[in-house]
Amino acid sequence: MERTPLQSILLYLAIITTAGIILFPIYWLFITALASTDELSSLPPTFIPRDPDWAIFSRVLTERPIFLWLFNSTIVALGSVILSMIVSVLAGYGLSRFRVRGGQSLGLFILTAKMLPATLLVIPLFAVFRNIGMIGSLWTVIIAHSTLIIPFTTWMLKGYFDTIPRELEQAAMVDGCGPMAAMMRVVLPISTPGLAATALYAFVLSWADYAYARTFLQGAQTNWTANMGIASMRGEYTTDWNEISAAAVFVATPIMLIYLFLERYLVGGLTAGAEK
Amino acid sequence: MAKKLGLDLARPSQQHLLGYILLAPAVLLVAAIIIYPLIISVDLSLQNVKMPRIGAARKPVTLGNYEKLFTSPEFWMACWVTLKLVVTVTLGSLIAGISTALLVNNKFRGRKIARVAMALPWAVPEVIAVVIFAWIFDSSFGFMSWLFIKLGLTDQMIKWISTPGAAFWALSITMIWKGFPFVSIMTLAGLQSIPADFYAAAKVDGASAVQRFRWITLPLLMPILGVTLVLVTLWVFRDFSIIKVLTGGGPLKSTQTLSIMTYDQAFGFFKFGYASAVGVITLIICVIASMLMLGRSPKTL
Amino acid sequence: MKHLVKKATTAALVASMLCTTAMTAVQAETLRFISWQTDDGGMGDWWRDAIATFEAAHEGVKIEFTKVERASYADSMTTLFAGGQPPHIVHLASFEYQTFAENGWMENLDPWLKKDGIDMTGWAGQDTCRWNDETACIMLLYFGFMMAYNPDILAEAGVEVPTNYEEFLAAARATTKDLNGDGITDQFGTGHETSGGAGQYLTELLNYVLSAGAYWTNKEGKVTIDTPEMIEGLTRYKTIIKEGLSPVDMSAGDVRKLFADGKIAMRLDGPWLYGTMKKGAAADRLKIAFPALTPPVGGSSNVLGMASEISDEQKQLVWDFIKVVMSPDFQRKYATVAGNTPPSPKADVSGVEESVPHFPLLIKTQKAAAAAGVDRIPTGLEIQYGEFGKMVQEEVQRMLIQDLDPADVVKTIQAKAEAIQAG
Repeated sequence: MERTPLQSILLYLAIITTAGIILFPIYWLFITALASTDELSSLPPTFIPRDPDWAIFSRVLTERPIFLWLFNSTIVALGSVILSMIVSVLAGYGLSRFRVRGGQSLGLFILTAKMLPATLLVIPLFAVFRNIGMIGSLWTVIIAHSTLIIPFTTWMLKGYFDTIPRELEQAAMVDGCGPMAAMMRVVLPISTPGLAATALYAFVLSWADYAYARTFLQGAQTNWTANMGIASMRGEYTTDWNEISAAAVFVATPIMLIYLFLERYLVGGLTAGAEK
Repeated sequence: MAKKLGLDLARPSQQHLLGYILLAPAVLLVAAIIIYPLIISVDLSLQNVKMPRIGAARKPVTLGNYEKLFTSPEFWMACWVTLKLVVTVTLGSLIAGISTALLVNNKFRGRKIARVAMALPWAVPEVIAVVIFAWIFDSSFGFMSWLFIKLGLTDQMIKWISTPGAAFWALSITMIWKGFPFVSIMTLAGLQSIPADFYAAAKVDGASAVQRFRWITLPLLMPILGVTLVLVTLWVFRDFSIIKVLTGGGPLKSTQTLSIMTYDQAFGFFKFGYASAVGVITLIICVIASMLMLGRSPKTL
Repeated sequence: MKHLVKKATTAALVASMLCTTAMTAVQAETLRFISWQTDDGGMGDWWRDAIATFEAAHEGVKIEFTKVERASYADSMTTLFAGGQPPHIVHLASFEYQTFAENGWMENLDPWLKKDGIDMTGWAGQDTCRWNDETACIMLLYFGFMMAYNPDILAEAGVEVPTNYEEFLAAARATTKDLNGDGITDQFGTGHETSGGAGQYLTELLNYVLSAGAYWTNKEGKVTIDTPEMIEGLTRYKTIIKEGLSPVDMSAGDVRKLFADGKIAMRLDGPWLYGTMKKGAAADRLKIAFPALTPPVGGSSNVLGMASEISDEQKQLVWDFIKVVMSPDFQRKYATVAGNTPPSPKADVSGVEESVPHFPLLIKTQKAAAAAGVDRIPTGLEIQYGEFGKMVQEEVQRMLIQDLDPADVVKTIQAKAEAIQAG
């Protein structure tokens, strides 16, 4: 694509400005962790702290079990991803390939999981899990997260599978494969990017949850997830903003790193099978 | 396995059965988690219940909660605020998302980094994002007020949280920041799947950038945008933690959405019967809205 | 088909094994104790001391002490109780427990007190723990507000430490200024929480309401808002906020921090302010005095009780723990370790001023509040406190935002309060 120098400059300008605006709050998080409380409560706002307290990061690591929280969040997220991916690959494929009567309605039903306000789900679910004796177990959160994730990933995968031409499976079936085998041996392997992208979304969704984790894991401090940990740092009388921001940096970083790492799958992953 | 069950699933006439089987795990899992709370909620909404007790004796069935709801100005206000927020945030996210996607779709150095940057807000958990924005919108020492003064837009610190109009905008901006990356990513993916030849051909025919966008990009993006729209809308409907921590639903209920109202009635005033009624109505509204939105893109969805 | 059944059974077995391993292995008895004070300096240590003492006397019994932050405390407790898994040892704010007691979830402590021959007369604030003619809990803290101030700021503005509302207002006006000339106020006369929930909002509003001789309800539970005194109280609050003498849209925590860093001249707050003051930039310069606005805000803070739906053995254990907390030894430690005014009349508070210099003042304000019958919880609106608080907060905010006349506002609030009371 040919571009005049002026267009190039404008483009770069637009991108840098946009990126700046978008990333500003994250930069602000860093500043809040490092600045003194005096700087935080004065104007003009401190953009670069005079005497950044880098020690805050090591301090918060020793005072709070950040790594434990991150570990728990990871376990829950991995569990949720595995469970929801298995279920939604099947469902997404089903919605995509088969014209089932009421398929659209079932698809819509799956979506209702996201429509009832969390407030009303909390107590009944707590009671259910309590009756099974699972309160405090990470499994409760894994299951709960999966139900939040499945509507999302099912529809995404359906959309993705829609872009893969059916000729591929039909060719396989002509060769004697059953439809399930066709799916496993033909469609899934070439869907890796789409699957990776969906799995990543599922991971982020699970990582971001706070409400369910808080409901089921409150009493089991060794099972707290990262968001619960951060929320617990709000004191009754005051909140140490330096500490909580530093902790927040630790909690947000892994997910941002994973994201950076796998970003190319994200966009590439949802690419249509047009080139295939 | 299929043969053992006495079915030949390869036969076209049995295909829809396979379809049901594939859908079953998802439907069952969702049903298991949703059905019971849904039943409890509907049950509670029909009783004059203050504090719920799972397993307690049922009180007489009454439509009192629903009557109260439909005649309550607070409820309609919450509906209105929810609608305003949904429209504002969805529109804002769409515009921001599509524009950033278009921007980043070009070839330039540092493209990878830019693309990642665009999506980072999505990766930051809500609990943390709202803390950041609460500080930025702080009325006494916040960055945003200072910026407005510096830009000459106002001569005093804006009281973001205690001014109804400003609070709504502070909330909207926070939610758009959090929500647009999702639209951006989906759009970007959609853009990638539009063959470049389409654009080349259009250019040859003398189409301008705007026309290319209108006639090629937008229609081909529709399917993806459809799903995205529904998911963003549901997210705004349901969101609770961002609003609660940032404005608490105030001031003067100017940011009290249905989900906040449900929470306040349930855990703030301990009126679970009434809260359940609000929740059930919210569910119904969401279902109708989703059906309308999904119905508009019949082909892919 | 058999193959499938076998698979299903194995899966179920595995699942149930996972469930059991996920549960805490309980060989000994474990009592659940949830609180928001686990991390608070002083208070947290005091609780842990009490827990250690209890565990030493009860072999094989452990108390699991977990934190739920104050902001989400009510909903967590509601979920636990409604979902059937309440904590054994119940710690609640004094304005929250009523709903739980109303549902029969709080054990009646009268028989337990009687059995051990414990007499609760003179126990500060214990009246608030009576509900439906039962003792539903034990009052842990009954306090009176104090007024902390920054002598440097006052001296520089040429004002004395105020002793009544007029002096307070004058001092606040004199000390609110823009220090660096950028047109934005950076030093405030006083500070109040004006964002966040209704509870703290009302508590801070009470400073002015009480000083004008008004209150939400009277002893019989009748709503007494449409009164000249209340109009005066609201007018005072409106003046302070409208004239910009307090930073706005801040939480109490942030206001405390500002004060501790020397940017606010005077702050009316409970005894807990001391902990924050000690950590601020202006720590060594701040002082404490008797509040200028009297009677001081105060009253009941938090209570300790027992869940009613636990086994009898567990109840006995919880009662033993409660007795540890009520013992003279720990009541004294409440002052020395946590810096609070213990409610027990038998507590020995001599010599506390050595570690907590303003302690005699705290006792003084506690007594002043008690004498005036002050409490945050209005009689007759206990159960509806949540809704009442939110309504008042909203109407007062409306008064500020739309610049309404307090004389009209009190009528609105009176009517709405009566409606809430009627149910």
